[in-house]
Amino acid sequence: MPRNGNIDRRRFLKAAGGAAVATTVAGCQGAGSNDGGTATETTSGEETSGDTDTESGDEGGSGTLTYARGNDSGTLDPQATSSGEDAKVIQQLYDQVIEFAPGKTTLQAGLAKEFELEGTTATLTLREGATFHNGEEFTSADFEATYRRFLDEEYEYFVGADTRSYYGPYLLSVVKTVNTPDDYTVELELKEKHAPMLRNLAVFAFGMISKSAIESSDPLRKNPVGTGPFQFESWSESDGQIRLSRYADHWGTKAKVSEVVFTEITENSSRAQSLNAGSVDIIDGLDAQTTSTIENSGNAELVTTPGINVGYLAMNMARREEFRSQKVRQAFNYAVDTQALVESIYSGLAVRANQPVPENMTGYNDDLDMYDRDVEKAKSLLQEAGYGDGFEIELATFRNPRTYNPSPSSAAQLVKSNLEEVGITTSIRTMEFNAFIEYTNTGKHDACFLGWMTDNADPDNFFYALLHPGVEEIPGGQDWVSFDAENFNTLNVAAWANPDYKQLVEEAQETYDKGTRAEKYKEAAKIAHDQAPWVFLDHAKELRGVNNRVSGFTIAPISGPYLNRVSVQ
Amino acid sequence: MISRRFLLKRLLLLVPVLFGVATFVFAMLHLAPGDPARLIAGRRAPDAFVQQVRTELGLNRPVYVQYGEFLLDVVRFDFGKSYQIQKGAPVSEILEARFPVTLELAVLGQLTGIALGIPLGVLSAVKQDSLTDHLTRIGALTGISVPIFWSGPILIMVFGVMLGWLPTFGRIATTYTYESVTHMILIDTLLSGNPAAFVSAARHMLLPVLVIGIYSMALISRMMRSSMLEVIRQDYMRTARAKGQGANITVMKHGFQNALIPVITVIGIQFGTLLGGAILTETVFSINGVGTLLVEAINNSDYPVVQGTVLLFALLFTLVNLGVDVTYSYLDPRIEQ
Repeated sequence: MPRNGNIDRRRFLKAAGGAAVATTVAGCQGAGSNDGGTATETTSGEETSGDTDTESGDEGGSGTLTYARGNDSGTLDPQATSSGEDAKVIQQLYDQVIEFAPGKTTLQAGLAKEFELEGTTATLTLREGATFHNGEEFTSADFEATYRRFLDEEYEYFVGADTRSYYGPYLLSVVKTVNTPDDYTVELELKEKHAPMLRNLAVFAFGMISKSAIESSDPLRKNPVGTGPFQFESWSESDGQIRLSRYADHWGTKAKVSEVVFTEITENSSRAQSLNAGSVDIIDGLDAQTTSTIENSGNAELVTTPGINVGYLAMNMARREEFRSQKVRQAFNYAVDTQALVESIYSGLAVRANQPVPENMTGYNDDLDMYDRDVEKAKSLLQEAGYGDGFEIELATFRNPRTYNPSPSSAAQLVKSNLEEVGITTSIRTMEFNAFIEYTNTGKHDACFLGWMTDNADPDNFFYALLHPGVEEIPGGQDWVSFDAENFNTLNVAAWANPDYKQLVEEAQETYDKGTRAEKYKEAAKIAHDQAPWVFLDHAKELRGVNNRVSGFTIAPISGPYLNRVSVQ
Repeated sequence: MISRRFLLKRLLLLVPVLFGVATFVFAMLHLAPGDPARLIAGRRAPDAFVQQVRTELGLNRPVYVQYGEFLLDVVRFDFGKSYQIQKGAPVSEILEARFPVTLELAVLGQLTGIALGIPLGVLSAVKQDSLTDHLTRIGALTGISVPIFWSGPILIMVFGVMLGWLPTFGRIATTYTYESVTHMILIDTLLSGNPAAFVSAARHMLLPVLVIGIYSMALISRMMRSSMLEVIRQDYMRTARAKGQGANITVMKHGFQNALIPVITVIGIQFGTLLGGAILTETVFSINGVGTLLVEAINNSDYPVVQGTVLLFALLFTLVNLGVDVTYSYLDPRIEQ
């Protein structure tokens, strides 16, 4: 068998090669994001920029708009995803019956020209003459098919339990029946009064899909048929590029450009450099470093708007007895230096928080004070609560930046040192987001960082979603519930269960009068502020980099980007 | 020459190797933290919904049942559908789009390495201890020692940023369209008959190929040199010279072919390494090949994609090795099984 030296040498080399693979793979873990960055791409956008429409009128679009982002899409099927990255493209291809007004949080007519919510009935009057990209007219039959594909497991063309995103059940499970008396009328019968209903219909996941496309065998993942201002051209997964073309027969604001290209540029700094060099027009996913490159470039500008999100540190009352004392929770709020957090660590890309919702939301309470850093007060509160000698906690956090927490590791270090000053010993546990969510969902954490980005810009989407305990009855005399409790809302990672708060947000969910509803939320915000189940950290801003040749771009705090309104020179 | 029995034996050997790899990957994934059902369902979903997803994916069944099913599927070349990163898409379809990207890069890099490494190695051996030899050896040592995640960014800095000659990421400028037939961009742009697009693609390809090429050149030239030196000292070489054959002919005719045998091994093994190393090159240059796919899939607990990708790597690695053995027997007929 050992024929000559060659065989042995080969074995040796094989082993050596294996070792080399191992080391290269290991080496890659740490590398990546910081280096390789400063890059330019020198290609002129004008040279081959597509079919130039010669008509001088405002009909017909011209030019190619390039939108660069950190990741490619995973799917173009609105019902199969809850990812913001997917939503950006889906928004261009599909319309909802009701839409968010561009750049605002208010609602406006979409494929339904009129909409009304009264009692437990929502009535939609559909627009006539709106067409899908396949030329067919949009009617109530398409609405019904779209709805059933998302929610009706008995439906022949049901999207599938393993494919469906949770948005379907989450946004629409309050709907009991859908009736379509004629081609242009839809009536939704609700199980109970539900104030956020109309807003739920405006979420990208409920984009109207053509019935014939639903019934065809082409998977919607790569064969989208919507009514949106742009239609699908091609998707090159190996280049991370999706091309859309202007849909000339769109019912609403027709696109001003003839083509939109979504392209993936993984590195933050490469993305910013490409923007400055003019090879892409709009970028997102900016961090502190890249924002300054854009500000200094002169070729592009930074567009910003307050975001509808919240970042917090939740104190798990189910696990740690110490946190069941309001004084301890308040002491934590006084101990953590949120001013330093938003200014130094988040580089001014966020503002401080003192309640569950940001300022631009219904129910935001102006009268509440910030918990300004006050070490002495924190210490005395701990003393009063009987924990003058301090205690130990574990702070769970995730590794990668999120919108509401652009640098989780540094933030955790800051909190740790802040808490140490008041006698709380903190150990930090860092996990990948997926593992982290599992950890916190099952209540294994003492305290954890988390946050929330809104789905529908409704206060219910913060107050109820994040701090309602989910259970029917809170055990008498306590203001927390166990993670094992029936119907427990696992998003409420503080396990906080305040009966007054619970009642207020339940009432508000069924209150249609705007003023009354806002008052209830303001009251709920005050309870949350005073009871402090979280250390309220921040509300992050939304940022985009826009090249100077682009006009008409408005940054949307929810939904969007509204690329049909944008033109390029 | 190569007997059919030898080939058959080697092909059959693939079965236990792939079985081992499949088992290993399956075990690793199922031991790692992170629940794919929760990831798919999202944070908003209550446990009941997560449970439904789990049931749908069959993740609630005993591990041995899942394992058995997984093996059965593998035998049928069915790697399932992506859980997350391209939700619902068959893994085979994803790999079909991504794998040629990596393959193109690795092949071009390897060819560059061979084209540079073999002549340098021969030159270095023939002119042993000369200045050329020393320079080549230093160059080779540097090439091996410098990791791609360092050389990549340096090349980007110099040629992309400081000199501005070459694009630094991606595979083609966004202004060009072409039809993806083979997913190998140089071929596709040629097929689409757009010379400007081809040039753009080639310019994008240059730096990553160079990075891989330098790395592979280093090992090849070192191996070529030492093997050549060994051969040069053989008796038959001296005999050939003694009977009056010219020095160059002796080296190229008698020496080169024999010295090539161990180099072929290195090239074969290195090709596998390059596919693995593609993870780095692809990350540095933002190229959507299997390397970046694998990293993304691992981060997202996308079991089917991870399993499919790793098995593909394993299959390729073993096939390349088989190719090496076959080449062996061709170069040296004594090596026969």
